[in-house]
Amino acid sequence: MPDFSLTPEQESLRDLARKFARTEMAPHAAECDKAGRFPEEIYRRGWELGLMNLNVPTEYGGSGLSVMDQCLIVEELAQGCGGMTTSIIANCLALEPIILGGTAEQRAQWLTPFCAEYHLASFCLTEPGGGSDAGALKTRARKEGDHYVLDGEKCFITNAPHASLYTVFATIDPQLGHKGITAFIVPRDTPGVAPGKDEDKMGHRASSTSTVHFEGVRVPVANRLGAEGEGFLMAMRTLDQTRTPIGALATGIGQAALDHAAKYALGRRSFGKPIAEHQAIQIKLANMVQSIRAARLLTWQAAVTIDRGERGSLESAIAKCYASDAAMHVADDAIQIFGGYGYMKEYPVEKLLRDAKLTQIYEGANEIQRIVISKELLRAYA
Amino acid sequence: MEIAVLIKPVPEAETRLRARTDGTQLDAEGVKFVLAGYDESAIEQALLLREATPGSKVRALAFGPAPRTEEVLRAALALGVDEVTWVESPAEGADDPGVVARALAFALARVPHELLLGGKQAGDDEEGLVTAAIAESLGIADFGSVVNLRVDSASGSLTFQRATEEGVESWTAPLPCAIALQQAWNDPRTAKLPNILKSRKMPIAKIPWAEVSAALGEAARPRSVAERFELPPARTGAKMIEYKSPEEAAETIVRLLREEAKVFP
Ligand SMILES: Cc1cc2nc3c(=O)[nH]c(=O)nc-3n(C[C@H](O)[C@H](O)[C@H](O)COP(=O)(O)OP(=O)(O)OC[C@H]3O[C@@H](n4cnc5c(N)ncnc54)[C@H](O)[C@@H]3O)c2cc1C
Repeated sequence: MPDFSLTPEQESLRDLARKFARTEMAPHAAECDKAGRFPEEIYRRGWELGLMNLNVPTEYGGSGLSVMDQCLIVEELAQGCGGMTTSIIANCLALEPIILGGTAEQRAQWLTPFCAEYHLASFCLTEPGGGSDAGALKTRARKEGDHYVLDGEKCFITNAPHASLYTVFATIDPQLGHKGITAFIVPRDTPGVAPGKDEDKMGHRASSTSTVHFEGVRVPVANRLGAEGEGFLMAMRTLDQTRTPIGALATGIGQAALDHAAKYALGRRSFGKPIAEHQAIQIKLANMVQSIRAARLLTWQAAVTIDRGERGSLESAIAKCYASDAAMHVADDAIQIFGGYGYMKEYPVEKLLRDAKLTQIYEGANEIQRIVISKELLRAYA
Repeated sequence: MEIAVLIKPVPEAETRLRARTDGTQLDAEGVKFVLAGYDESAIEQALLLREATPGSKVRALAFGPAPRTEEVLRAALALGVDEVTWVESPAEGADDPGVVARALAFALARVPHELLLGGKQAGDDEEGLVTAAIAESLGIADFGSVVNLRVDSASGSLTFQRATEEGVESWTAPLPCAIALQQAWNDPRTAKLPNILKSRKMPIAKIPWAEVSAALGEAARPRSVAERFELPPARTGAKMIEYKSPEEAAETIVRLLREEAKVFP
C-alpha cells in the first residue's frame, strides 16, 4: 500500500471465496432468509474448504490469514449472503480472545479441534441490560477453590444454539467496573449452560442468534483467559481485530446491491428507454459506486494498519462505520432503482437493506464508533 | 500409474475481451486467465485415477507465457496435482497448435506419462488438436470424447466409453495411451484454502523457450499464422412485446418468428 493491486495469492483466495459464494451460498440465500433456516450443510462445506477460522494461526491448523486477506474473503462471501457470512465468521470472533489471550497450552487445547473438525464457537459479551456499555456487564464469576462459578445471561449471541464452545466475559466484582471483567472458555456441555431459542430477526436470517443462560456453571481456573480483570481489554482488542472484516462484510452487501441495480437499470424501460439512460438513475449509480469504493479502501487501509502490528482502533472504527452506513444507503438506492419490484420479497434487494442494517449495530454500534473516532480526532487537536 | 495432464490458461468466461490494436489476436492486457472447465475435469479424472491406483502420480504440463501459465499450474497444484512443468512459449507465434504439441512432446521426455490426459478441447479456441498431435508424435494410441474412464486393477489397462452420434462405444486400452476427455461428467473438486496457500510455495519446473526451440530446430517455427482476430458483432437489442394474456404473447412470438426471424416457414 498504497499500491492497491492484489498479489496472485490474494486473487486466488478471493476467487475461492467468490466461487463458494456464488455456487454454494447465493442459490440458498433467499430460501434461508424466508424460512429463517440455519444452513449447517453450507457452513460445514465452508469449513471443509478452509473458509472458517481464517484468523487461527497455522500451528493450530488454521489458515493464519492477515486481516487484509480475511477482508478479501469476507467481502466475497457477503455478496453470496450476509447472514451466512455472519455465521461463518463468528468463529473468528469467538476464537480471537483465545488467540490473543490464551497460553500456549490453552491455544493448543482449544483452537486445534476447530481446525481438525467442524465446530462452531460463540463470543458472549452482550447482555440483556446492555451491549454498548460492556464495562457494566453483570454476569458474575465467583471463585470457589480451583473453579469459577458463572451466573448470568448473555443475549444476541451469534451461533449460540449450535456452538460447542463459548468465550464468556464475566465480572469477578461489579464494583470494579471494567477492571473486574474476566474472560473464560466455557464448553457448551458444562452443566448449567443453556442457550435459548433462536431469535426471529429482521435480517441475517440464515444466521442464528440467541440468549445463553449460565446458572452455577463451574469452570476450572485453567479455562480463565489471562489474569482476573484482563477481560475487558481482551474483548476490546478482539473487536479491534474483527471490526474491519465487518467493514468488508458491509462492502460486500453494498456491492451486491450495486450489481443488482445496475443490471436492472439496463433492462428496465420507462418513457421509451432503459431507466439507466435517465440521468437521475445514473447519478444514483454513480453515488453508489463511490460509496462502495470508499468503503473498500477504508477497509483495506484499516486492515493494512492492523497487519503492520498497530492496534488500528481509529482506522477500523472509521472503516466499519463508513462501510455499514454506505451499505445502508446503497441498498436503499438499489430498492429505489427497482421501484415497486424492489419492495417485493421476490426480488433480491430488500433483503440487502435488512442485512445491511445489522452492520450498523453489531460489533460496536456506529454511535460508539463515532465516539471512538471523535475522541481520537479531538486528542490530535487538544 | 504415471499420469500427465495437459492444461492451458484461458480467459475467464466473464472477461470482456477485445482485439489487439493490430487486429491479429486477442489483447491479453488486463485479461484474467484461468483453468478451463475441460481442464478441471481432466485434472479431476487424473486425481480419481490416482486415488483408485495407489502409488500413482499426477503431473500437469502447460505451455504458455508468464504469468498466466504459472497461475494455472499453481491452481493445478492447489487441486492436488503432485508436480507441474511449465513449458515457456515464445513471445509471438505461440498459438500454432503444431508448435504447442511439439513443445509439449519435447517436455514429455522429462515427465513420466503412461497415461496422457487432456480436455476434449481448449476452453478458448476449442481446436482440440493438441492431445492428438502429441500422441502422434509420441507414437501412442489416442482416443477422443472419452467418458467413464477407469483402470482395470487386474490387467492394469484402461476401460472407458466414447459417446458418438450413433451410440456408445466401450473400449479397453493398454497403457501407454493418450485420452481427450468429454467435459464435466465428473464434478471437479474445489481447491481448499490451505492447499491454495501451500501451492504458492511449491516448485514449478520450467523449460525455457530457448531450450525448447534449440531442441526442436525448424519444428519450433509455426506453420500457421493467424491473420485477423475479431470479436462477434455486438448483439442488437431484444424486442419487447406487449401482451395481455399468455396466449396473446405466444401468438405474437410465433408470428414474429415466422415473419421477421423467418425460423418457421
Ligand atoms: C444479529 C445480532 C448478532 C449479534 N451477535 C453478537 C455476538 O455474537 N456476541 C455478542 O457479544 N454480541 C452480539 N450482538 C450484540 C451487539 O453487539 C449489540 O447489540 C450492540 O453492541 C449494541 O448493544 P445493545 O443492543 O445492547 O444496544 P445499547 O447498548 O442498549 O444501545 C442502544 C442504542 O443507544 C446507542 N448508544 C449507547 N450508548 C451510547 C452512547 N454512549 N452515546 C451515544 N449513543 C449510545 C447505541 O449506539 C444504540 O443505538 C449481536 C447483535 C445482533 C443484533
